[in-house]
Amino acid sequence: MVLTHRNIEGIDIVALAGRLVMADVPQVRQKLLATVEQGNGKLVLDLADVGFMDSSGLSVLVSVFKAARLKNGDVVLLHLSPTVRSLIELTRLQQVFAIFDDEEAALTRLR
Amino acid sequence: MTRTIRLEIESRPECIDLLSNALHGICHPALPAGEIARINLAMVEAVNNAVEHAYHGESDHSVWVEFDLMPDHYRLRVCDQGQPMAPGRLAATPGFAEPDPADSVTWSTRGRGLAIIKACMDTVEYEVRDGVNTLSMSRALAGDGAANPIKTA
Repeated sequence: MVLTHRNIEGIDIVALAGRLVMADVPQVRQKLLATVEQGNGKLVLDLADVGFMDSSGLSVLVSVFKAARLKNGDVVLLHLSPTVRSLIELTRLQQVFAIFDDEEAALTRLR
Repeated sequence: MTRTIRLEIESRPECIDLLSNALHGICHPALPAGEIARINLAMVEAVNNAVEHAYHGESDHSVWVEFDLMPDHYRLRVCDQGQPMAPGRLAATPGFAEPDPADSVTWSTRGRGLAIIKACMDTVEYEVRDGVNTLSMSRALAGDGAANPIKTA
């Protein structure tokens, strides 16, 4: 899994590419938690290039969300593929995560 | 005509992608993308459980998958020889409750695998026989080959 990081106006944007599954979870969790720890807890996760995610991948999203909330921040999801969106909705996590198809709208939410 | 495949991997997370790729190969283009994604998700969750819980993350063990694709339904079996699942665990696995955005306790990060499998499939059964643990799953295919929505209730 490839992670690409940039920062706009103090908001971290991390794009993930690949399959977010059990084999990748330790590396991805560590990098995303470090991003939250080093930043101000405002994070956009761009999942446009994540074609598949399992429950261990979901656990990463929730862990990072909890870490951001501890800093009074937030994590929003951007550009979900149909497969990932189905998993999020199946597990009802759309109640927890704000989901956007437009980056500017995601940034506005976190400003 | 029935298409059947049997695949075996070492019990390492890095090997699970091999199963996904092979499964896609047997299902495509016979099934729509949404149905293939459903089968793949259920299989990956079942194999994750075998690697993580039956074998406690130890490699050098075997996990094997048997998949039968028939015109009107399919069967998927995931087998291991590790520690069996606790009796009644599958039946006791609840569906997904609505998480409360204001209550982090409800944002569970664990135990979603079996619930996902049950939501994806019509039938899910677990059997331990002669030291082999088998999670058997099946699902009917719509007559037009279209994928039905994943159950959310």
